[in-house]
Amino acid sequence: MENKAAGTNGSLILLKQGAEARVFESTFSGRRSIVKERFSKKYRHPSLDSKLTLKRLNAEARCMTKARRLGVYTPVLYSLDPLLHTLTFEYVEGSSVKDIFLEFGLHGVSEERLEDIAMQIGDAIGKLHDGGLIHGDLTTSNMLIRGGTNQLVLIDFGLSFTSTLPEDKAVDLYVLERALLSMHSSCGNVMDRILAAYRKSSKQWSSTFNKLAQVRQRGRKRTMVG
Amino acid sequence: MKVFEVNGSTLALSLFTDVSNSKDLLDSMQTGTLEPEVAFLNASLIPDVFPVLAAAHKSLIAKARDSLTTRTLHSELVYNYSGSKHITESLKRCGISECSTYVLAARFNASPEEMKAVEKLINGKEIDLEELRGRADNAQIQKHYKISGLELGISSLADAITCRIAARDAM
Repeated sequence: MENKAAGTNGSLILLKQGAEARVFESTFSGRRSIVKERFSKKYRHPSLDSKLTLKRLNAEARCMTKARRLGVYTPVLYSLDPLLHTLTFEYVEGSSVKDIFLEFGLHGVSEERLEDIAMQIGDAIGKLHDGGLIHGDLTTSNMLIRGGTNQLVLIDFGLSFTSTLPEDKAVDLYVLERALLSMHSSCGNVMDRILAAYRKSSKQWSSTFNKLAQVRQRGRKRTMVG
Repeated sequence: MKVFEVNGSTLALSLFTDVSNSKDLLDSMQTGTLEPEVAFLNASLIPDVFPVLAAAHKSLIAKARDSLTTRTLHSELVYNYSGSKHITESLKRCGISECSTYVLAARFNASPEEMKAVEKLINGKEIDLEELRGRADNAQIQKHYKISGLELGISSLADAITCRIAARDAM
């Protein structure tokens, strides 16, 4: 078994460790890159485990590149390794929307910047949803603002899937709404601005908004009573 | 000629225009008598070296695992660059044909002597790799890789190609 450094040509520096994957910084053919490694879960049966891991790895690669085809910025995918369960993609220089919004909370809100970011978020989600792609984990830490261009880049398509159901789109928006409420209430009502931009960007906004109203009543999970 | 480091190996690239012996090159390649072994790519589909390096990276890993899809490491490079799973079609479109005049030659772990030999094989004029961008056939690239105008609004051609090369096996 070759070592990881040989597999990605460059040294690996651990950046983050989550429940499903580890994220490293590395270089790929001279470009700064991120390596996301899905690790095995020891409590699962080995054959089920590798099947699930590979299925999710492939799904993530598909969704990331599909988003780009829909005109939404995501990191450029450099390589996929089905044996080591890794994705290697572009390192995006910049800060997360989470950090920017928290900064607003501490040092006052820049209205202009907030409006621009909210607009980009709504526009991007509208494009994804009209293309039948659900992000699945819309939080402000999964949104980056590229330094220099101030361009929004969506990351972490690990929970993404394709669907055209208003239900799935509404839940996608609802997850973001809850995340904004709990993390960034000091920024005022960002969600309204995001939804206004979403409405401009998505042709199917009406059915999604109707569903969103229902989802707000009952929460993310559908009640299974009776 | 320029040498790039990929995954602990090297890839030497030379770009040629006004190539007049494509038919001979193709023949000797198909009979396996090309010496030294080298990959010839249809350079009009290459707007930048980076996607070639991504394809090379993929080829080297397949070679190390004994899981090449095509016969040799060098044909694997052409196949991988195509971003498609159709081998014959890939080699036809991204490799050279009898009438190719614009060709990128690539060889893994080449010694300077070997690259000299490669330059001798090709009857053409060697030009700088910087010329790739200006000489690429953007319409043909968009058609081959199915890149829409929507995607080009947020991405360069080279990045769009790289994504397709990397994600092919996930599709």
